[in-house]
Amino acid sequence: MKKNSRRSVVVAGAAAAAFGLTMAPASAVPSTVWTVTPTGSYTATNSSNIVLTATIPMTCTTSGASGSMASATGNPATVATISAINFGTAGSPCTSVLGNVTTVAVTPWTVVAQDYTAATGVTKGYVGNVKANVTAGACKFTVTGKASATYTNSTGVLSVSSVAGELAVSASPAPVNCGSVVTTATKPTFKGNYTIKASNGTVPKIVGTNP
Amino acid sequence: MEGHRAAAPLSSRARARGAVIGAFVVVAALVPATATAAGTQEVDAAFPYLCALPSGQQPAQVRISAVFPERAGTGEPVEPAGVTTTVELPAEAVADLAALGAATARPATRLTVGVAQDGATAEATWRGSAEPVPLPGSGRLALTTTGDVASVTGHGSGDLTFSAGSLAVDLALATADGTAAGTGALTVDCSPAAAGEQEPLATVPVGAGTPEPDGTPEPGGTSASPGASGSPSARPDGPGDRQGDRAPEVAEAPPGGTAADREAPPCRYDDAHPSTSASLNAYVTGYSNVAKLKGASLLPLSCVLIEQGPTDIEFFPDFTGGHLTQHSEGTLRHRGRAQTPPFEATFLTFGFTPTKATMVLEQTGPMTMDAHGETSFVTLYTELETRVRIPLVLRVTALEVNGVPLEVGARCRTKGPLRSPEPEPARFPGDHLLLTGSSTHQPPDQPVGYLLSSGGQLTGEMTIPAFTGCGSGGENLDRLLTASVSGPGNYVKQTQGQTCAVQVFNPDECTEDLQPLEIPVPER
Repeated sequence: MKKNSRRSVVVAGAAAAAFGLTMAPASAVPSTVWTVTPTGSYTATNSSNIVLTATIPMTCTTSGASGSMASATGNPATVATISAINFGTAGSPCTSVLGNVTTVAVTPWTVVAQDYTAATGVTKGYVGNVKANVTAGACKFTVTGKASATYTNSTGVLSVSSVAGELAVSASPAPVNCGSVVTTATKPTFKGNYTIKASNGTVPKIVGTNP
Repeated sequence: MEGHRAAAPLSSRARARGAVIGAFVVVAALVPATATAAGTQEVDAAFPYLCALPSGQQPAQVRISAVFPERAGTGEPVEPAGVTTTVELPAEAVADLAALGAATARPATRLTVGVAQDGATAEATWRGSAEPVPLPGSGRLALTTTGDVASVTGHGSGDLTFSAGSLAVDLALATADGTAAGTGALTVDCSPAAAGEQEPLATVPVGAGTPEPDGTPEPGGTSASPGASGSPSARPDGPGDRQGDRAPEVAEAPPGGTAADREAPPCRYDDAHPSTSASLNAYVTGYSNVAKLKGASLLPLSCVLIEQGPTDIEFFPDFTGGHLTQHSEGTLRHRGRAQTPPFEATFLTFGFTPTKATMVLEQTGPMTMDAHGETSFVTLYTELETRVRIPLVLRVTALEVNGVPLEVGARCRTKGPLRSPEPEPARFPGDHLLLTGSSTHQPPDQPVGYLLSSGGQLTGEMTIPAFTGCGSGGENLDRLLTASVSGPGNYVKQTQGQTCAVQVFNPDECTEDLQPLEIPVPER
């Protein structure tokens, strides 16, 4: 019998590409054709500490993700899936003043593109379909929603910077043993940078056009 | 025995008499040596046991197999190998486990093995562990565990006999989806059904007739019996007159993977103290200075059971942050009691007299943990200070001054709890030890300091009250202890390890049988 059967397996993975709307010159027409090169699997590794908050902050020094990328059409358009994402490891867990925090992602998450600026090669959008079970000591809660992000072709960095209100604390299951510090009214946030690498070692590019 | 005493220096021996006469085990943290005897004997024996299950006592069969050396030389460690313990529980027991919602059970066994040689006895604990076993839909449940066991070294010659005694089976119970079933853990205590009549598990002849490595017969291994009536002169280098000196020595088993195998006292919830969804357990250890003695005493690795309280926030009026508070309660736990394990400290009393005390810290009221702090939603800067309060009486159970045991009696303790300066005496009345830990966090950096559920350093200062009830037979030791130990200004530093939330079960924080995974190291 496998050892980890008592507990849902831990996480993995993260995000890959990116996102949408706005910034284009006012005259621009939203992109509807998204060309990703190369397509296929990718890995993501945090290039800075990841900061999660649920009223109080927690710092993750290691976080990584994996999944696959594909070209897509439409707006918004899912240009990548995150099949696994981890926050912290056994040796370097995410921590807060209340102690170590375990975050187990329920995947797949998605990377959704909404807006592309050709001049900068930056795609705006969000990490979607976010769901994660978080525990700190005996306090347990579930976070769902999305987190705004941008992807820069020149650097291969996916920068996640969620805005309050995008992520929510689930009412079902409701938080337990957390007190008023984490309730269903809490607005969690997710911030940090990931470096994306395609399986062939190159930096993936996302280009949005409107033919 | 009289002959032994006559040979001893009078005054000190007279005092020593009151001390221990029962057999005791000399525990040495040694890696078991390998038995060198050429021949081996394989043992495979089944014994009837009675096991206490939630539904009542049930018969069970316990099968033990091991390989022993055929014989051993004097002083040569006997190391049983290939030890396998199988407990076959009846269908009723399986129903008991299923009633708790369990689909699998991971067993860990603790078999008490009596070791006897020539009337002197010692006990060893054979620990075993196994992977989780699915509960059968019907019929019996066989739980087979394996593990390395301690070596045993006899004193002198004579048959070394091994007998199976009580057996504790620690079960980590999980539901079909892998979460903890019931409280997650159940300990089933079993004892031999035919206690007293049971055949020994194995007999290993030691010494007599066994050539020493150089081929000469070993002295003392022939006619001179070290038995109770034997003459001490028959063994010029023989043991003293205390039975403990003759008892076989049991070395500790090497450290292993499961909680049961570790050099840590058990720390778990059980029927007498069941867990809740907010239950945590953790180990603490550290040092306390004893200012008068200019020394530090190691406070032993101790188990704390904690009910984690909710963390509450009171937002600032402008919503730029808030005040954080958390109140939790806990208790020390050692063999079902609110206390530390016994520990020893040796000091130079009055600067020149070596004094060894065996002590225990007993908890006399609730232990509380109050954290308060602040967080800013603007800068994310967060800080938290935790104050742990616990009323502890220091009990002295044995005392040896200059190598001479002094009888302290059964009621030797400090007059009141150890006491620390209390900044909030109205809210926290009564004498208690106060330890404080603090943390700060400025993201994106990591938090530093004492983290509530993950532990760290807790420090404080205490006064040791005067002693009372110490001494027996008209000899009052209160003043000796009070004069040499009691007083203010004793610095305490405790290190708390990562807690295990037993009903959450994080394999990075809990052992498979729901004990704290992290064993903290004391720091000065």
